[in-house]
Amino acid sequence: MEAVTFLFGRRRNLPARTLRTAIFAALSIFICLEQCAAQDDAQAVEHQVKAAFLYKFAGYVKWPDSADARPDAPFTIGVIGADAIAAELVEAVAGRKLEDRNIAVKRLKAGEPLAGIQILFVGRSEAARLNQLLQAAQPRSILVVTESEGALAQGSVINFVMADRRVRFEISLDSAEKSRLKLSSRLLAVAQQVRTGTP
Amino acid sequence: MFKAIARSVRYKLALVVLAATFVALLVAGTALVLYDLRNYQRQLENDLVTQAEILGRASAPALAFEDPKSANENLALLGVRPNIYAAGIYNAKGKLFASYEGRDAPRAAFPSLPEADGSRVAGNELLLFKRIVENGEIVGTAYLRAGYEPFERLKDYLGILGGVMALSLLAAALMSVWLQAAVTKPILEVTDVARQVMERRDFSLRARKTTQDEIGYLVDAFNDMLAEVGRRAEALEASNRSLEHEVAERQRADEDRRKLNAELEQRVSERTSQLEAANKELEGFSYSVSHDLRAPLRGIIGFADALMEDHGPALDEEAKRKIAIVQDEGRRMGVLIDDLLAFSRLGRKALQIVDLDMSKLARTTLDGLHAQHNGQGVDLQLGTLPQTKGDRVLLGQVWANLLSNALKFSSKNGKPQIVVSAVTDEKEHIYFVRDNGAGFDPRYQSKLFGVFQRLHDSSEFPGTGVGLALVQRIVNRHGGRVWAEGKPNQGATFYFTLPKERIDGTV
Repeated sequence: MEAVTFLFGRRRNLPARTLRTAIFAALSIFICLEQCAAQDDAQAVEHQVKAAFLYKFAGYVKWPDSADARPDAPFTIGVIGADAIAAELVEAVAGRKLEDRNIAVKRLKAGEPLAGIQILFVGRSEAARLNQLLQAAQPRSILVVTESEGALAQGSVINFVMADRRVRFEISLDSAEKSRLKLSSRLLAVAQQVRTGTP
Repeated sequence: MFKAIARSVRYKLALVVLAATFVALLVAGTALVLYDLRNYQRQLENDLVTQAEILGRASAPALAFEDPKSANENLALLGVRPNIYAAGIYNAKGKLFASYEGRDAPRAAFPSLPEADGSRVAGNELLLFKRIVENGEIVGTAYLRAGYEPFERLKDYLGILGGVMALSLLAAALMSVWLQAAVTKPILEVTDVARQVMERRDFSLRARKTTQDEIGYLVDAFNDMLAEVGRRAEALEASNRSLEHEVAERQRADEDRRKLNAELEQRVSERTSQLEAANKELEGFSYSVSHDLRAPLRGIIGFADALMEDHGPALDEEAKRKIAIVQDEGRRMGVLIDDLLAFSRLGRKALQIVDLDMSKLARTTLDGLHAQHNGQGVDLQLGTLPQTKGDRVLLGQVWANLLSNALKFSSKNGKPQIVVSAVTDEKEHIYFVRDNGAGFDPRYQSKLFGVFQRLHDSSEFPGTGVGLALVQRIVNRHGGRVWAEGKPNQGATFYFTLPKERIDGTV
């Protein structure tokens, strides 16, 4: 889907290359005829899984006491740059509670403050602004979860990766420590990779 | 074997130790086995529940983050528990998520769907399902399949118990062999000494005291007893020797006495037979003398009678008077000879023993006497006389003699009185005849019953002097006695006894 959008976007922005683009598009469509239906399904599953993982992480992470001044407030998962996942997440947390706290999903836009958020998911489209977001999140002890390659090196705590067409994740203990988050060893046990030491 | 056990304290002690050990082990082992079997399933269940909890907790993140590899790794750790045959993790949708099967475990298909929480026995296996709950949410089910073989376990246990018992009994046997030496050795020593004492009769032997316990005390007591027995035996032997001596002496004395007795008896019997012979000779002599005297006497009397008849008128009064005296004296002599004959005949005649009514006999005799004598005016008191057994004729003679004596000697009294009665003691009847006649001088009492003995002049009281001798002889032949009491002019009492039980008619 994203590839197609990107393609159309290009055509709109660069008319000079119409022919080449058309050929490429035709080729793409041709390929799509075989694969797109399956790809659509796979992507939907990926979003569902990521959404499920996101709120499940909460059970294996211990936030510092100061980070959570208001225990009666809902446990909030902020999502930025991934509307599809946010939608899935809203569905997944419906009716669920985390240690008697309601779970809320908050869609964030660039520049919005991060107050009251425990988990922040940074979508691939916002990966460019990751550094900025991390700087804001780390002092607030927000668990930052990303889905971009190399995000851990930048300071993300958990980063989704695809392995063997399955959603896995990798963890950076250093980043968690900087955010004063304690991750359960049981979570580490199922992580694809646990990184320690400075990036 | 049993004989040996019954005969020796050693074996008994060993048996006691072994039996006690055996019973204690058996009871303890049985209790242990029963307890264990009872708890086996529960323990196994508890164990599996714990295992499932651990598995569930370890596998919860794997379920949450869909990481079967991690779950499989967790399950693979069960390889150290060969009793767990298979294990599985089902996800929240009931799909088998991860599984494990023991290398040598019996194979069985995994259930297609997890069952409710709990365990159940299926053949030789115990199946357990346990929900995995994470953050208040059921994320899956842990499944365990484990071997459940109580009989195998019982077999193992019994094997172990048997082995332990065998070893324990062996150890106990060795211990008892070692220990019992301390207990039985002193006893065996005492026993040995006792056996020697019994065999050799040697009371000077002593048992050695080696311990200060009850056995030591026993040894002391045994030795004391031996000493005491020795002393007693010695005293007994001495006493035996003196007794033997005494017995021998007594036997000798007895022998002497027997000899003397035999000699005496011999002499008595010789003398008796001599006496009997002499007596017989005498009786025969007196009989023949009496008999032979009768013939000339009859001649004298006969011729005196003929003289009076034929020549009476020719004789003067004086001659007549003298012839009458010859006649009287001749008759008197005839009576004497008759009495003598009767007396001597008595020794030869056998008694005719019959039941006798003595009252009747006395009464009849008295009636006869009344007829002969003029016995009116006699105060006669005849008491009740006990019945007896005897010769009717001879006892009638006794009554006749005694009663005629009484009538005769009381006839001079103005008021003659005769009492006939009897008393009975436990052995004999005592009959008596009492009169108030002339009586007699007690000095001559011993002569009363002699033949021809007379205390009164025959002119005063006629008689031959044979009557009482005859009475004595008859009563003696019946086994009784006679005696008399009396004083001059104050009457006399004549007694005779007859035994209650007569054995025979001989004297």
